[in-house]
Amino acid sequence: MATDITLLWASGSHACWRVMIALEEKNLQGYNQKQLYFEKGEHKSKEVLEINPRGQLPAFKCGDLPLNESCAACFHLECKYKSQGTKLIPDCEEGRALILQRVFEVNALAEKSSSVLYYNWRVPEGERHDSAVKRNKEALTAELKLWEGYLQASSGFIVGKNFSLADVIVYPAVAYLFQNGLSEQRYPKLAEYYKGLMNRPSIKASWPPTWKNAPKQETLKDI
Amino acid sequence: MAKLMSLLWGAGSPPCWRVMITLEEKKLQGYKRKLLSFEKGEHKSQEVLEVNPRGQLPAFKHGDIILNESCATCLYLENQFKSQGIKLIPDSAEDQAVMYQRMMEGLALTDKLNSVIYYDCSVPEEERHDSAVKRNKEALTAELKLWEGYLENVSAGSYLAGAFSLADVIVFPSIACAFRFGLSVGRYPKLAKYYSLLKNRASIKTTWPPHWVASPQGYDILKDL
Repeated sequence: MATDITLLWASGSHACWRVMIALEEKNLQGYNQKQLYFEKGEHKSKEVLEINPRGQLPAFKCGDLPLNESCAACFHLECKYKSQGTKLIPDCEEGRALILQRVFEVNALAEKSSSVLYYNWRVPEGERHDSAVKRNKEALTAELKLWEGYLQASSGFIVGKNFSLADVIVYPAVAYLFQNGLSEQRYPKLAEYYKGLMNRPSIKASWPPTWKNAPKQETLKDI
Repeated sequence: MAKLMSLLWGAGSPPCWRVMITLEEKKLQGYKRKLLSFEKGEHKSQEVLEVNPRGQLPAFKHGDIILNESCATCLYLENQFKSQGIKLIPDSAEDQAVMYQRMMEGLALTDKLNSVIYYDCSVPEEERHDSAVKRNKEALTAELKLWEGYLENVSAGSYLAGAFSLADVIVFPSIACAFRFGLSVGRYPKLAKYYSLLKNRASIKTTWPPHWVASPQGYDILKDL
């Protein structure tokens, strides 16, 4: 039941966005939700810490069950609501294996993106090094080439011919890159994937509100 | 079935160990395997890159299916071989949810452990800072306290998500690593109890890192945490 579900989220957080896409895909609109702001430190508020002792978003509950890890929340929603909405994990062996592989590979993509985008946020001034910035950018470039390769023969989805859990998990990370200025010319397949799913109802409905009127950033334009 | 499976692995690596525990639990012994050496850089060899373009271990194949992310491999094996060996995913959606949550949190635990244990391996000398080492240790301490809390009621048969499950498959190797690197049994009694309850489980004992068996004395990087 959507009314048993609670989500505390922040705009632009890929982890939050994944959960919102999954909720839409499983026809669970009407869940309790509250938008919070990292800039105001609201992710460390008591309200969040009561659900997520790590003080991170999303802070998500299904009934009394906290499920703060976004992949865990998405797996749970697919298992519990298997028979409603979109089927996010197919029955066939090979499709399922590749979906699982891509779901967990996103950690590498997200981590390498964050190490470039949030370098100054994460690393205190006295510890910053140009050599580290350069290395992080090279690692991200290599990672993006892998994903560009995965999308070479794509029919618009990251795995196979249907929207799946892999897209729920991957799409926000990819959208984030383009929002931060990733070059569409240098990464044409990623760009095609990004634009192709932009108007999918679950994605459109949960699009980060702070991106709607904001200009795109340019941090990644030279990657 | 196991004959169609192959695993390239490195000793002491929690992600490799997770896959090996699962293969044992699902009675898939007899898979092809090859031990590679991180110290000799064998994880970056052509043989690995052909299966895992990131040059990381584990690199696992089942026929033509390739699965290099250990959580993906373990989930896949449990789903494919649901009816053999031990059931690693509980039946009820609620118990499953706790399992998934702990599995994913286990990845955060592993990262924080690595940031302390392997600091010198992953950060070039001129970029190292005592302030970063201190911060990483504090983050790891906070993380370990959370797990100490999750295991408040640990006892035989009652682990991270009830009966032994994929949550334990994913997390146990990192806990074992923590004790190998000197974590204090006195300061983390619940984690220590969890460790001692599971270390003799057949699948875990059989796949125990060989060099840990050869030299049981570990290190003490974590002794002051």
